[in-house]
Formats: sequence, C-alpha cells, structure tokens
Amino acid sequence: MTREAFASLSGSDLRERFETAEYVADDRTVTTVHLALTLGRPLLVEGPPGSGKTELGKVLASAFDTELIRLQCYEGLTAENALYEWNYTKQLLAVQANEGTVAGRSGTGHDHEQSVFDEEYLLERPLLRALTAEGETPPVLLVDEIDRADEEFEAFLLELLSDFQVSIPEFGTVSAEQPPVVVLTSNRTRGLSDALKRRCLYLHVEPPSFEAEYEIVRRKVPELDGAVAAEVCAVVDRLREEAFLKQPGVAETLDWARAVAQLRQDDADAPLSTDEIERTLGCLIKEVEDLDRIDAELLEQLQTAAARAEDRLEA
Amino acid sequence: MHGDSDPTAGGADEGVDTAATHGREDVPDFRMARRHVLIELLRFAAQLRNDGVTVPTSATLHAAQALSVVGLDDRSHVADALRATLLSEPAERDAFESAFPTFWHRLRSGLSAVATDHDGPTAGGDDEREDGPTHADSPVAEDPGVLEDAEPPDIDDSGDGDVEVRIPTERRHVTGDRPAETGESDARRYSAVGGRQRVDIDTAQLTESELTAIDRFVDALSTVPGRRRRQSTAGDRVEARRALRASLSTGGAPIDLPESRPTLSELRCCLLVDVSGSVLDTVDRSVLLAFADRLYDSARETDVFLFDTELVDVTEQFARGGGDPAAALREAEVQWGGGTQIGEAFTTLRARHPYAVDRRTVVVVVSDGLDVGDPDTLADGITWLAQRAGALVWLNPLAVSPAFEPQSRGMSTSVPYLDALFGFAEPADLAEAARQIEQRGLHGQVGYEYDRRLVGADSGGGSA
Repeated sequence: MTREAFASLSGSDLRERFETAEYVADDRTVTTVHLALTLGRPLLVEGPPGSGKTELGKVLASAFDTELIRLQCYEGLTAENALYEWNYTKQLLAVQANEGTVAGRSGTGHDHEQSVFDEEYLLERPLLRALTAEGETPPVLLVDEIDRADEEFEAFLLELLSDFQVSIPEFGTVSAEQPPVVVLTSNRTRGLSDALKRRCLYLHVEPPSFEAEYEIVRRKVPELDGAVAAEVCAVVDRLREEAFLKQPGVAETLDWARAVAQLRQDDADAPLSTDEIERTLGCLIKEVEDLDRIDAELLEQLQTAAARAEDRLEA
Repeated sequence: MHGDSDPTAGGADEGVDTAATHGREDVPDFRMARRHVLIELLRFAAQLRNDGVTVPTSATLHAAQALSVVGLDDRSHVADALRATLLSEPAERDAFESAFPTFWHRLRSGLSAVATDHDGPTAGGDDEREDGPTHADSPVAEDPGVLEDAEPPDIDDSGDGDVEVRIPTERRHVTGDRPAETGESDARRYSAVGGRQRVDIDTAQLTESELTAIDRFVDALSTVPGRRRRQSTAGDRVEARRALRASLSTGGAPIDLPESRPTLSELRCCLLVDVSGSVLDTVDRSVLLAFADRLYDSARETDVFLFDTELVDVTEQFARGGGDPAAALREAEVQWGGGTQIGEAFTTLRARHPYAVDRRTVVVVVSDGLDVGDPDTLADGITWLAQRAGALVWLNPLAVSPAFEPQSRGMSTSVPYLDALFGFAEPADLAEAARQIEQRGLHGQVGYEYDRRLVGADSGGGSA
C-alpha cells in the first residue's frame, strides 16, 4: 500500500483494519487517524497513561503490514541518538588503511579515494531510518512520549515533521521518498510548543466507556469468562470515579483481567469477591496514597458495582 | 471517500461541492456552497479564538482540507475533523463543544439554502472566484444571512446565549460614543437593579499612542518611591557623589552633605470601575477593559474592582488574563451591566477590602456618577475613601462633553471630596489629565474644567 493509496483510503476500510488488528477504536479515533493518513500529516495523540496511545501506533503498523520504527523519547535525548551517528571506528580504520579521506563529499579528494562521510559510514538511528525506509508501504514512525524529550529536541523534530527531510551537514539533505506515517504520543507532563502542535492533527484519547472497555477486555483477554470481564470493567469504572493520584488506564484493566483469569483456574465464572479484588488491587492501583484510600466501604461499593455489571451490559 | 489525493484548496473545493450535491437532483451553485462553507469555517475559528482557543491561521486551512476528506454529511465526522485540526489542548474542548452546534446549524441551513436557491444566500455571484481559504478574509464582510427563516441553533445556555461573531478583520471602533448614538441603548432603562449580563466582548487592542497615554497617566499619579533619587534639602540619605565633589573645595573634608530622597515613580492604585449599564453604553467597553488591563500592567500594584449593584474583586482575573481580561472575566462568569449603586460599592469595599486603600494608594474611580442608591451611603463612602486614600481621582465618561457640570446627585455629592475629576471616554483623554497633573500636581488646579481642548468650545470654567 503506497502513500497514494493512503490518500484514497476510506473511513470504513480503516475501521475494518482496526477490527482485524483487534483494536477497539471509537468514531473520533477512526476519523482522526483517517484524516492523518489521507492528508499525510503527523498525528499527535494525547491522553492519560495507559489509554492506548502507543498501541495505536503499533496497531497502525500491523494493520498496514509495515515496519514500526519507534523512538522512545527521554530527557537528554539528542539529535545524534535519534537521527544518525557517524561510525567513527569504521571511519578511523578506513582513513588509516587509506581507503577513505576525511574530505567532505564535495571535497578535493582524489577520484579513487572515497570520502568517509558517506552512507557506508552512517549509522542510521530511528528518524533517519524512517526517512530512508524502502518498501511499498511507508513505515509507521512512533515518537513515543515526546513530552519527555527536551524542548530543543522538539524544535529539531519540526523540520522532519513539516518536510520529511533532514539535513546532515557533511552529507547533504536526506528527504523521504515515501513520507512515513508519524504518530507522536504525549502524556502532557509538559505543554508542547505551538509550532509542533500546529503541524500535527490532534487526538485526545480518553478512558473508554464501560461498554468499549468490556469490548477491549473481551478481545485482549479471551481466556476470561465474559461475565467476569464485565465485572472487572465495572469495578474499574467505579474506581475511576474516585479522585486517585493515578487513575487506572486501560492497560491496568487488561493487566488486572489477566491476573484474575490467571488466579481462578477452577471456578472460572464465579462472581468477583471483595477478597479477590483486594488481593489483586496491585494490578490497578500504583500509588501507596491511592491504596490507603481503599477501605472496606469502598471495597463493598466496588463489589456492588461488579454485581450490577451484567445489567449495565444488557441495558 | 473521494478519489482526490491532492489535499490542497482544490481538494477542499471538490469535497464541498460533492457534499453539496449529495442526494439532490437540481444543480446547486457550487461556488456559493464552497464560499459558504469557507465563510462559516472562518467564523467558527474566529468564535473559538474569541473564546480563548489558540487557533493558528494554518489550522483553518487544514480544517478546510480535512472537511474535504470527511465531507459535510455526517455531523460527528465534521466535528471530529475540526477537533483534530483546530484544537490542540484538552482544555479547549469546552469552547469547541459550545460553539460547534451554531456552526453546524449555520453550515447546514446555508447549504440547503444554496441547494434550493440558485441565487445563493447572497447575490455575490458576479464577484471574482475565491481561490482558497487563505483569501477568504475578504468575503467575510458580507454576511451570508442564512438564518432568517431557519430554526435557531440549539446552544446550551451555559455560554453566553447570543453568539457574537467577531471576524478578525473587523475594525473595532474606539470612540467615546454617546449613548444616543449607539441606538441599542434607546430601549434600555437605567435602574437600580437593571438586568445584569455576562462579559460578552473581548479586549480591544490599543494603539501605541493610547498605551503611551495610559502609561503617562500612571506615571503622573505616582505615589510610591521608586529606585531613582533626586537632590533634596531634607532627604533621608547622603548623596555620596555630590558630597565628594563638594569636599574638594574644602581640602577633602566633607563639610556640606547634600542629601537625596527617592522620587515617587511608582503607582499603587485601587481601580474602581463602574460597569453599570449606563457606563457600558457610554464608553466602548472593550476599550474600558483594555484601559484597566494596561493600568494593571503599568502600575506597580493595582487592585481592580468592578461594580454595578455589586462589587467584584477582579484583580485575579486581570493577573491571569495575560492581556485579555475579557476572556478571564468571561471564564470567571463575572456579570456586569446592572444598575449603579456607587455608595453601596464603596461600603462593600470598606467592609471586605479595607486594605485595598491606604495612604499611598491612589483611588481611581471610573464612573458616570449617575447614582441611584442612597445619597447618604455615597457620602459616607466617598468621605472614607478621601480620608484614607493618598489621592482620589474620578474619571467621568460624561465629563468629556463641554457642557458637563457635576450636577447629577451622585456627582454633586462626590465632587467636594475629589482631588481631581477628569473626563474619560478614550485613552487620549488620559494624556490630557496626565499633562495637567504633571504641570500643576495632583492637588493643584486640575480637572475637566481646565481641559484645554474644551476651552474653545465652552469659555466658562466650572469650579471644583
């Protein structure tokens, strides 16, 4: 599937591909991703941790059967780590063995001497790889947690995101034949610059509704009994009403669903008990302050919510 | 959806046209439809900007492209496409959600009008074809006027009910229009408890000279010592440099010790702005806010209060507004436009914010003095203010008229206690006030009656 084919992709086609990849997406997500693909613009996904932002990038890659190039951002990430590095060892050896010259590409080196500033000596890091990737379908470039990177790095990304090209001083400008599909994710630990946001389509993912989450759990944890899965989602739904420091995301729900499925081998369809919830809370609650807030009363309420799960699904 | 892979203005054109033709036999006016969509999109973006959303110019362009991809048939798709292109913060969603129904309604009703009526909503068929959203500023001047016979939009009334659309190119009129000229004020009856409304305008952009006028006014009122010092016969500090120079004539022994004192270069100010219906109709309210904001920025410390029948401390809104207090006031759901009870306002100030006024504070009251409250309360309030404040300056929007005399009940009660009474309809009036204060001092002969600009019109001078 080429970049041109993306442009004529229809919304329903995209939805089918999400379905096949077992990714439950609401209309807003489908429309926004569809726009990002058709318009060929980067997609900035924001939302609380564990709401499936990174997963969206992965699913896009698998849905279009293409390479996923992931760049995990962190504080202190530099252009060298993200873009390219010269293979200094190889360059040094080449120069010593008189196989190459340090003169630049346009330098005055003899014809038989090759410059060491050449593709051969270039170590491609994720961003450059995304630009130079070959293959029919453009790769998916997932720039994960861009808010963790420094602002300088963010500024550096701008050239890449607007023109899909980077300049390497010794080498020239590398531009992508097929612009990659770019997905940026952010947890909003800091605000992103307007310049970056301006270049992206914006998607804010929220915690899914009870029904959507049930759907997700059913797909991702098929080993768990359907009724129990509903109870699991109801409990998480109830927990999200509490003002916790760290709200449980979908990732936590899935963890917990797997844990519950793992623990109950024999009586697979028995309803959730307060004891069971309490023992496995570690999958959902990740802050000690939040854990302290869970008392017998809240556990009781959680169980009540679980008991009503079946009715909610039918309603 | 459409085979068009070129996401340019041409693409937007096609998408709009396709959507407009959808399900209709007759041939609609494509150009009108397209033009209508672009106009509505710009209006929508302007409305969002008005509500504090940062919408870059390019975002509107991208929104148009996105619309060409998703078409105009499905409301939720259009909403998603616009959300993706126009927003970039979760906090901006509320503004979007409240403005979208109106946009959608206008869009659809306009498109149906285009589809059924070959003349289109406006008779603009003969003008030149617009080449894309970037050029679309020009058609804005003409209102497509599509809403005449359509049903009203379902706006949830949490925002201001009437959606005032301001297009960025629209000039704001910064004038001191008299109430008689505004037309809409004819129907208004000023009363003690008049209907209050939310802040529904935005802050005006003042010109450089207007800003300078306000700054000059602030400087003229300065009451608080700054860093700069000047020579003085009885200062609090020895001026070392001059003392050293003087000591040369006495063989190095410092006999004379010239002293210096700090100049008063900073202003601590308590700004009381009357936002009753009568004042709001007299002065340009966006300029009024812009003035208050500039004063807030320019003075070292400013407490800002708005009062009509109630007194509201809005200092925080001005601090947070960052140059756009209107948005902050709107967000804080501050209401204005009620009746005038100046005395009550002063009493509330005294009871709740006694420390807003001290002997280094200049109290600046912006009010027309058309008080409908109890005169005794006003007299109590104004005497307290006059006693406690370093200076009491009254800016009266009505006093710009040559025929003005402080004869209204509220004004005649207050005038004896004022250090100065100036006319104020636009920032330029402040430059005149500043000129007088600079020349004769705040406690000298200053006031509206010494306004040079009015002397020609009216030979007489009042007495303060």
